[in-house]
Amino acid sequence: MGIKIEDLTVTFRNKVTAINHVDLEIPKGIFGLLGENGAGKTTLMRVLTTVLSPTSGTVTLEGILYSEGNFGKIQRKIGYLPQEIDLYPSLSVQECLEYMGDLSGIPRQICKERIRYYLEKTSLSEQSRMKMKQLSGGMKRRVGLVQALLNEPEFLIVDEPTTGLDPEERIRIRNLLVDFSEGRTVLFSTHVVEDLAATCNQLAVMKKGKFLYSGNMKELLEQAKGHVWSCKVKDEGMARELEKKYHVSLKQYAGDELQMKLISEVPPQMECSPCEATLEDAYIYIANKEA
Amino acid sequence: MHEMKISLPLQKQVYAVFFAVILSLVRGVTYSDEIGIALEAPMAILAFTFCADTYTQEITSKRSEIWRLCPIKKRMHSIYRRIVIQEIFLLAVAVIGYGLFFLFQNPRTGGTGRSGLGVEMCLFLVYIAAVAVTLGFWGLLSNLIASLFRNMWAGIGGCMVLWLITNSGIGDRYFGPWNLFSYTFRKLENISDFSWICGKIVCICIGILTVAALPGIIKKRG
Repeated sequence: MGIKIEDLTVTFRNKVTAINHVDLEIPKGIFGLLGENGAGKTTLMRVLTTVLSPTSGTVTLEGILYSEGNFGKIQRKIGYLPQEIDLYPSLSVQECLEYMGDLSGIPRQICKERIRYYLEKTSLSEQSRMKMKQLSGGMKRRVGLVQALLNEPEFLIVDEPTTGLDPEERIRIRNLLVDFSEGRTVLFSTHVVEDLAATCNQLAVMKKGKFLYSGNMKELLEQAKGHVWSCKVKDEGMARELEKKYHVSLKQYAGDELQMKLISEVPPQMECSPCEATLEDAYIYIANKEA
Repeated sequence: MHEMKISLPLQKQVYAVFFAVILSLVRGVTYSDEIGIALEAPMAILAFTFCADTYTQEITSKRSEIWRLCPIKKRMHSIYRRIVIQEIFLLAVAVIGYGLFFLFQNPRTGGTGRSGLGVEMCLFLVYIAAVAVTLGFWGLLSNLIASLFRNMWAGIGGCMVLWLITNSGIGDRYFGPWNLFSYTFRKLENISDFSWICGKIVCICIGILTVAALPGIIKKRG
């Protein structure tokens, strides 16, 4: 059943509309949320975690309407990793997670078993006795993710879970999220398009409080098909000229020449060839199509 | 106990003890029965600064959004545990402070006209009872105001205003024995006068109200 959002609007006291009459269905599995800074992703997630009440519109989780009376029921089903979080610096990793588990009402023994399991899954077992303040940014992020998974939520919301992780860890976390999403809903918000390409089938692209796209990844790539062009230029001056005219998704030196990937509705007026669109290309195409 | 590590980090312990040491060095007393007066109001300042971040640390560290997903009962238990731990610690500091006055200033006994170990013990126990109520009241109040405004400084500022009003001649004249600092303003020469207890009853009543109001504020304001 997943999550259903209907005609959702969030307007702040300063009259800024962060989310503007949007509809969205988030099915089971991993659902990607992509968008520029200030697009409204975090506001949407804050509504979904019941932190923020929408100005208008409705949200349902597994058929349960988001309303004051249902918040308790809904909150028990949610796990959340915010974009920024500073977990208790004076506690060790183990103590911190035990404390969070206790707060969530997880029985002590079950909590300990889950902590052991998820620490192993996130390669943090060796750091379990280390104080939170001694951890690196990436390690803290992983502990944050473990706390979100502890109550084994039906609906997991993760905001930039892979920030600060090395490539190997990033893959490990992605795989953990994929495993976890079986029979559950995971809302995965990130700027790292690569992470979404590796984990999601469904995604939504947000811009200025609206969804520019929501649906299948394949269909999104399909939309960008025929609008991505590859070309080579001789010098930086020519490259700059192209950057003024088109959206450039790739620019790299290949020998003496500059290899470029351009996103354009119509074929660029120069020697170039159509090429395969990646999710990143598709995102840039969709995000700038409206403009 | 995890709450102890969360609510009593080393820097807080250090500044609280330091506060008591400095106070016992700079605040002059002649007789031992003046120690309670010298300590009560400053200890109130320590209590409301100390306890203002009991919950707001969750907001500043951006953990409050996760807290919101936890059952309110569990959240409240944790907050109350933190308050109790802090209050016990502050009470210990208040006891140490009392002892430090004897150590650094060697005050004369018998200021009330009577002397002896029994009288000194009685003065000390009365001080402990009064200061325990004072610490509890100001700690709870600052945490409540801070939680209401989601800002530690609001808790400290709000309490400071009330402190300035009640710990003044105006407060004494206006509220008399019902003043929050009635113990400080009591008449030292009349040892059998316990009318100042009225002020402590007011503290206890407001304290109970803050305890009752806190769950609603945490639930609503998170």
